[in-house]
Amino acid sequence: MGAEEHCKMASNLRNSSLQKWSIIIFASLLGFTLFILPVIASSIYSFQKPGGKGYSFISYTWLLHQAGFFPSVGTSLKLAVLAGILNISLMVPTMVYLNFTGQKLKPLVDFICILPLVIPVVSLAIGAQNAMPSFLQNTQYELVFFFVIIGLPFTYRTLDTALQAISLKTLVEASRSLGASWIRTIIRVIVPAIRGGITGALFLTFALSIGEYTITSLLHWETFPTWTVVASQQNILGAIALSVFSFVSAIALLATVALFSKKGARQVGVDQ
Amino acid sequence: MNKKDRVSSTLELRGVSRNFGPVTALDGLDLVVAPGELVALLGPSGCGKTTALRIVAGLEVATSGELFVNGERYNEVAANARDMGMVFQSYSLFPNLNVSENIEYGLRARKIGSAQRAKRVAEMLELVALESKAKSFPHQLSGGQQQRVALARALAIEPRVLLLDEPLSALDAQVRSQIRDEIRRIQLELGITTLFVTHDQEEALTISDRVGVMSNGRLEQIDIPDVLYNNPVSTFVANFVGTMNHIPTIASGDTVDIFGKKIRVKNSKGVNGSVSALVRPESIEVTRTSGSGNAKIITRSFLGASSQIICQTAEGAVIQALMPSHESGDLHPGEDVTLNVTLNEVLVSHV
Repeated sequence: MGAEEHCKMASNLRNSSLQKWSIIIFASLLGFTLFILPVIASSIYSFQKPGGKGYSFISYTWLLHQAGFFPSVGTSLKLAVLAGILNISLMVPTMVYLNFTGQKLKPLVDFICILPLVIPVVSLAIGAQNAMPSFLQNTQYELVFFFVIIGLPFTYRTLDTALQAISLKTLVEASRSLGASWIRTIIRVIVPAIRGGITGALFLTFALSIGEYTITSLLHWETFPTWTVVASQQNILGAIALSVFSFVSAIALLATVALFSKKGARQVGVDQ
Repeated sequence: MNKKDRVSSTLELRGVSRNFGPVTALDGLDLVVAPGELVALLGPSGCGKTTALRIVAGLEVATSGELFVNGERYNEVAANARDMGMVFQSYSLFPNLNVSENIEYGLRARKIGSAQRAKRVAEMLELVALESKAKSFPHQLSGGQQQRVALARALAIEPRVLLLDEPLSALDAQVRSQIRDEIRRIQLELGITTLFVTHDQEEALTISDRVGVMSNGRLEQIDIPDVLYNNPVSTFVANFVGTMNHIPTIASGDTVDIFGKKIRVKNSKGVNGSVSALVRPESIEVTRTSGSGNAKIITRSFLGASSQIICQTAEGAVIQALMPSHESGDLHPGEDVTLNVTLNEVLVSHV
């Protein structure tokens, strides 16, 4: 290779790395202005003393002392966990069945699972509530079923992708021919193989449920989101502290999802 | 575990058929696999061989017909209660379990104690020579290693019958022949009744006790490899097993004329007029002529002990011959030669 070519290659390299860096810098600036700056600003603001002299945790302590803070957080967590578990127990066997048998029903189920995104929330809330038995309508646990419904579009896709990435039919047949029952096959073979997908679906439902406001408010139940609205009307700095708290919790949750699905993928040993 | 400790099973299919809607995938298959025998089902894709194997494994249900293992009717036995070890075409190891855990999977399903499981896993790893990979995960293994683990996993449960569903077709050529020989060694060592499905005639002929050639859901012929090769009962079998020349000629009565020699037609019933005579390359003799012969040499390829000679007849047909290299050394491209067939009877097919 001649010296000239060397020079050319080096300058090409420099150009492409320059391009790469300018994109990175631009994206970082954009992210900083639109995303990080507001968070920093509201965080600083949430630590200010009323009247603007000095900093303290006063807004946060006010938050913790508000009636209904802990109960509403507790309710939301409980309902979200139940919704996640119910959704997974419903959708994993369904999706395995649909994918294993190559069912003609699959497009139909796909369509049904998309419906919650299409139907206006008001119709969904009133309609689905009417379909529930009255003993359920009278408890806050009716929300679990709503949360499962609004999680369906996301659970369907997540699990479907995970199942299509493994050779489901061969794995099931191998397990069956080795003497394993259907239950053992699902628990020992399929669930570990689509672990990442299941964790993803679980956390998506959980996150949707934690943040659900419209249906809960329409049906007059108190969860963390509905409580937030009421509480934030009383104290402006408290409201900001509340939004920072919600935001940080959401980020922590997302980070957990990312961590879990990565760990799952590593365990299954997906070749990249 | 060795041959003496175990009793080999007999596998029998009687009139097994399978329809998928209007399509008949398997059309009345009768087959008996003797204890310790390795029988291959050979045929093009869609001939019903895989369907037959899956019916034996219980992964597919026969539309009609019966299945017996050691004289016991197996039609209604669930797949997980059949005690059949199966090796699949695609890689089928459980991705979340390591090699040892994969091998002991069937033993766990049978509620076998951990000490016995460990012993068995060690035996199996030794059998397939993968002791060093016991703790590896499937994605860390090569294709050949994965299929060896799959074989070990299938054998760990001491199955009554071993089922091989094109286990070599995902592997590259070199590994393929190595694993093929290993399967045969292990099969003979354990004396396990084996049904082997493949579309590769070389694979089938090299390791099987008997080979069944299938076409359109039916068994065309089942015989030891030598008979299948030298004495095919139909033109389909003749074409599918080994290389075959199709020499255009005219049939009259029960003889055909090949290179000026009258040869009796084996399947003479209803054959008349223009036909192709089916002649193996090794049944064609090429000799140099001083004058003009009946063909010209196109190429000669040296293959070691024998050489392949490709000729073109005056009529334009391309003929492949296989001769000992020491007899064909003086044959060069472009030369006029005389072709002869060294056969007393031939199969012919309609053109």
